[in-house]
Amino acid sequence: MNIIFPPKPQVVPVNPGKIRNPARVLLNNGTPVYMIEAGTEDIMRIDFTFDAGEAQEYLPLLASTTNMMLTEGSRNYSSQELNKILDFHGAFYNLYAEKDRAGLIIFFITRHIEKILELAGEIVFRPLFPGTELKALMKKRLRWYLVNREKVNNLAMEHFFKSIFGNHHPYGRQIVPEDFENMNPPLLKDFHAANYTPEKLAIIISGKIHGRTLDLLNGHFGENFASDVYIEESHNLLKASENRRTHIKKPGAVQTAVRIGCPAINKCHPDYPGLKILNVILGGYFNSRLMKNIREDKGLTYGIHSMVSSLILSGFNIISTEVSKKSTQKAIDEIYSEIRRLQSEPVEKEELTIVRNYMLGEMVRMFDGPFALAESFRSAWEFGLDTSYYDTLIKKIRTITPDEITALAGTYYNIEKLHEITAG
Amino acid sequence: MIDYSRYTLDNGLKVLVHEDRSTPLVAMNILYYVGSKDEGPGSTGLAHLFEHLMFGGTARIPDFDRHLLLAGGENNAFTNTDITDYYITLPSENIETAFWLESDRMNLLDFSQRNLDIQKNVVIEEFYQRYLNQPYGDAMLLLRPLVYKIHPYRWPAIGMDISHIRNADQEKVMGFFFSHYAPNNSILTLTGNITCGRGISLAEKWFGKIEKRAVRPKTVPSEPVQTEARMLTVEREVPADALYMAWHTGPRTSDDFYTLDLLTDILSGGESGRLHTKLVRQKKLFSEINAYVTSDVDPGLIILHGKLMKDVDIRHAEESVNKVIDTLKRSCPPPLEMEKVRNRYESSNVFANTNILNKAMNLAFYELIGNPDLINDEVDIYKKIDSMMVTEAARKYLDPSNCSILYYKSARRK
Repeated sequence: MNIIFPPKPQVVPVNPGKIRNPARVLLNNGTPVYMIEAGTEDIMRIDFTFDAGEAQEYLPLLASTTNMMLTEGSRNYSSQELNKILDFHGAFYNLYAEKDRAGLIIFFITRHIEKILELAGEIVFRPLFPGTELKALMKKRLRWYLVNREKVNNLAMEHFFKSIFGNHHPYGRQIVPEDFENMNPPLLKDFHAANYTPEKLAIIISGKIHGRTLDLLNGHFGENFASDVYIEESHNLLKASENRRTHIKKPGAVQTAVRIGCPAINKCHPDYPGLKILNVILGGYFNSRLMKNIREDKGLTYGIHSMVSSLILSGFNIISTEVSKKSTQKAIDEIYSEIRRLQSEPVEKEELTIVRNYMLGEMVRMFDGPFALAESFRSAWEFGLDTSYYDTLIKKIRTITPDEITALAGTYYNIEKLHEITAG
Repeated sequence: MIDYSRYTLDNGLKVLVHEDRSTPLVAMNILYYVGSKDEGPGSTGLAHLFEHLMFGGTARIPDFDRHLLLAGGENNAFTNTDITDYYITLPSENIETAFWLESDRMNLLDFSQRNLDIQKNVVIEEFYQRYLNQPYGDAMLLLRPLVYKIHPYRWPAIGMDISHIRNADQEKVMGFFFSHYAPNNSILTLTGNITCGRGISLAEKWFGKIEKRAVRPKTVPSEPVQTEARMLTVEREVPADALYMAWHTGPRTSDDFYTLDLLTDILSGGESGRLHTKLVRQKKLFSEINAYVTSDVDPGLIILHGKLMKDVDIRHAEESVNKVIDTLKRSCPPPLEMEKVRNRYESSNVFANTNILNKAMNLAFYELIGNPDLINDEVDIYKKIDSMMVTEAARKYLDPSNCSILYYKSARRK
């Protein structure tokens, strides 16, 4: 066993480089198209992204149901035909309805672009919302919902959003079984007409982009204009709950899900890059303080993570874990004690160096390949930023001081303001 | 086309390198040919527990993660019934750090009692979180012993029972290391921004001095042929009944694997799969249904599972599944449907191979099953599968006497 290994290798500082802004082209009707030419394989990814997320809905489930019904039949194709043709061409798609945005991401082999774009136009602009399919979908969704409600982490997460954003805003609204009965085709058609318009659309393309892409896009997405002007008025109010502590009982659960956090800033705020770094130290990577303390030192959990997340109208910080029932209080106490430590003791140089290098390595991965580039671009663009956001973040990663981190921890993890939700 | 070089060191370590200059990163994957099938029935879950211990450090480098993070790297691992797989991605300038760390822990791990105690707790919490505290989470824990009577695939990688993890002691763990963790029982793959020459010479530099070890020969008993249908019914606190069905198949290396992969794609691939179209959309019996063939080294399974809609009788649901299967046995799928599933395979293969880490894992797995060329050649194998082969495979494998069925029923009034 006593073999002599070569000496420890030198480590070279990580340099994520700079990502360029994608080429921006307008279609004939003004819809912006962002093109990221990259990769080695003849494949493409197109994200048709609309300002049509939950924040736009006045009834629970409206944004997500409208989105899920897009492939349930269009003017020229039945649902079965749409899916058969997409499957036949080996195309994969994701329909998504997030808190702010909703849309369709489609992955395909570049040579199939003509058919794919024709179908994509049908899906996003000409859906029919047939009643029978809607009824079937709502029955299925109710089943999925009932299964998900059995999971302690889902229960805790839902209540967390309600607690920090309030039940009167789509960001915080909780779904109840009756909501599944309220959807009908006219509602979806209205929501679609108001939100899936060329004015609310951006198209983000990445991969080996076919030469005729823009021509084809103009044919399917560049000719129509919104048929009406919709005046938007917001009745939605963000308001955190007065009661910051909730326990949801789940008989028979052997673990308790814990969610601790609060509303916070989003990407547009100058403190955001620093908050990102603070989050990594606290619980944002495998070597974080929460992981070291609660998993690697005490063995109380399989995993504990913290996250800072950006929404258009707000942002939030959240710490999440699942622990044995008997250790719940111990874990929660340790979470607060780690936060207090960050607020009172400057981070050691060694730890900060590890975090800097880890984060710079992460950025290399975020910029690696056409699809990663498209996602990184979108997550800055949707906040009105461009890729210079990443230059700012990289600069902050390299220059942040321990004192800045202590100050950020005091401001953004004020223990008096944290909401604490447990389910189990 | 994925070009690669292959080289075997004197100590038996197999090295495969694929250069991809389009990325600034390198992926390093180390596959150890040890999984839960190498455990005894009284001490299951050991291979997976051991995977956790591999991050606990060595006498020479007590803090594995710290050094990797300083090099901008990221790593993780998984254990299944056949293998334990460790992987790293990092900027190519720092690839030697990955070699330094991986060769060190292959050479000798530190087995502290404290680290063992903590990781036992972590794994027990993982057992709860992923299997016991999830609706339907224990379904595979129930299905496996129904399907396998002798073969160690009868327990999952997490283990048969939490008590086995509680009872793991240092002696067992050390024994496990020396009988399975060895250069001659592992495969190293490198993909990304590295030349084949440099990859192989670094492998020689860092791993070349580790000695060959006496790897415990595999003594896995083969599963006797199933001759009649098996049935298990359980009741649990879940909102909907669920149906699980499993049929024995051949190993990953058998030609039928590819046919069965297309067969299960005809049944449940995409939104236009037959089970989804007939039983979810048309008859509205299931809220979701899925079927797939497992990629096991020893003879594996076709697994089908679905969750039922409210008020659907589970026997009726099962009969309806059987009708869909019978159609496939009676008449060959039409040419367009065959073309669809072949196209879907081709496309998913192209997409999977855009990622260096996927390529590194796949190369290692293909080497394990004896033919790394499969990473390029499988596309042609799939192209040659015709509809007659699918129908014959359906008749051969999807036979009721070869089937195990689990009714996972809701104990609640609906």
